Amino acid sequence: MKLNVNGREHEVESAPLTPLLDVLREELTLTSPKAGCLQGGCGACTVLVDGQPVRSCLLPVAALNGAEVTTLEGIGTPERLAPVQAAFYEQYGSQCGFCTPGILLATHALLERNPKPDRADIEAALSGHVCRCTGYVKILASVEAAAGKEAT
Amino acid sequence: MKAVGARLPRYDGVAHVTGRSTFVDDVRIPGTLAVKALRSPVDHGRITGLDTTKAESMSGVHAVVTHKDVPLNSYGHLSALGIPADEPLLAEEDVRYKGQPIAAVAAEDEETALAAIEAIQLDLEERPALFDMRKAADPDAPVIHQWGNWYPHFEAGFDRRQIRKGDVDAAFDAADLIVSGVYRPAAIEQCPLETQTGLAVPEPNGRLTIYSCTQALYFSMGVVAAHLQWPLNKLKFVGGTVGGGFGGKVDTATETICALLALKSGRPAKWRWTREEEFLCSSTRAAWHIEITDAVSKDGWILGRKTLTLHDAGAYARFSPYGVTKHSFHHTGAYSIPNLFFDGYCIFTNRSPTSAMRGYGVTSVSFATEMHVSRVAAVLGIDPFELRLKNANRIGDTSPNWVTYTDPSTVPTIQAIAEAIGHELPAEYRTATRDQREGAWLPEHLVAQLGSVEAH
Repeated sequence: MKLNVNGREHEVESAPLTPLLDVLREELTLTSPKAGCLQGGCGACTVLVDGQPVRSCLLPVAALNGAEVTTLEGIGTPERLAPVQAAFYEQYGSQCGFCTPGILLATHALLERNPKPDRADIEAALSGHVCRCTGYVKILASVEAAAGKEAT
Repeated sequence: MKAVGARLPRYDGVAHVTGRSTFVDDVRIPGTLAVKALRSPVDHGRITGLDTTKAESMSGVHAVVTHKDVPLNSYGHLSALGIPADEPLLAEEDVRYKGQPIAAVAAEDEETALAAIEAIQLDLEERPALFDMRKAADPDAPVIHQWGNWYPHFEAGFDRRQIRKGDVDAAFDAADLIVSGVYRPAAIEQCPLETQTGLAVPEPNGRLTIYSCTQALYFSMGVVAAHLQWPLNKLKFVGGTVGGGFGGKVDTATETICALLALKSGRPAKWRWTREEEFLCSSTRAAWHIEITDAVSKDGWILGRKTLTLHDAGAYARFSPYGVTKHSFHHTGAYSIPNLFFDGYCIFTNRSPTSAMRGYGVTSVSFATEMHVSRVAAVLGIDPFELRLKNANRIGDTSPNWVTYTDPSTVPTIQAIAEAIGHELPAEYRTATRDQREGAWLPEHLVAQLGSVEAH
């Protein structure tokens, strides 16, 4: 089947029921989505499918024929950080870095649909993401800083 | 002082926000095999049969290891300090906690590895298990550990960490009041987002490269070398990118078994624990049982303290004696109590072995001490801030193990808290300093505990 990932078409050879996470990490070697719980509980495997955040550990690749998948590799590079990436970097929103890809993509999707989220909007958008390092304070500050960047 | 107060960029920040930080699970080596373990299905039992023949002959299985494959199967986390080892890498006769590893398999993929684990024939005789430290410490309790139900190898053959300071009997004779309390902080799983993960790669030059998520790289290197009976220079460890640890990645969890499977199969072997394994059998913070009895005066001085601590080591000792030792050194918290009687035991139970988590052994006793100081203040009817400032560590005071404090922060910290929450303090407490004791701040009972600041 065909899978569009970060703007590139791939011919995927994994079995149809393979979770999207394994296709991305093992077949396409895109390792930013992480295996945290493999039960849909932690949010570390989050990627965007047609712009919406999904748990890639629970999603069989067969459900995605023709869809556009975005991983963290697809929104910015070290030389050209996306606004959410720059904000998390500057505001120390990432500590060990393991939950970061999922949280950044959920934030990216939030700001696409709501460029001026209030604190309740941000908390709702990130409620499915577990971070054990930061205590979330710097993550919330990073999202607010990213919203400011989007506006300018 | 370029760093203090400056917002310095994180050296790994750009890699983190672009998803390019390489965690162990992100390392890609061609031909890597998947590892799975046969774990004890019971909390306590004796292995009566273990047959791996069928698993070894399965297609796609490249290596199976049991205790027979480990050059030095029992190596304790405190062996480097000369303490005998109590924990096998792979169980031999006894299993003492649910999830204890018995055998491990390296196969083409996880499915094949799991099928091979299913094919191992394991016979067990289940035994009674103990989960409560107080029951394990009971003289009538069944013996669940080869050393007895508590750790017997503190220095000079002591079966407890013991502190005796000053004259505790005289303090209790002189007391206006005795205040007792029991404090029981629970076990906690550190729960890092990255589960325990290791990857061992056999190199053409005969060495092993081991990718590790450990918080203690050189320690893990020593543990692997000891089990393999190899010199350190045949091991190359790659680490430092840790997906959360919080103490849960101090004990060596995956590296040695990956190394054995890589050597036996000649292929790279990667073991990524499931979240279920992480909760079932990775090390946790210990549960503690702490009994404190203080001798106090009506005007709010703590004259003496008796403490009994039980620490739940889980099934094996690992670093627990070290945790109890730190606990003992800090058992008066931020306060100077001159007359002390402390006994701390490392109790074995059939729970997962316990280890570090954010202030190993200290957070438990800080919780107990702060609760207890508040209790003393409530019983005496004294403002808890004033009671704390009165007994606070000052320059020249000594810790339970006679270390002289040269930079204690209790007084300014408590004053800052009072100010932050708008708690009015009388002038003598508002202007108190942490300077060496004199006058009203140096009552008779605190004289003998004073140390020499000049010696530092």
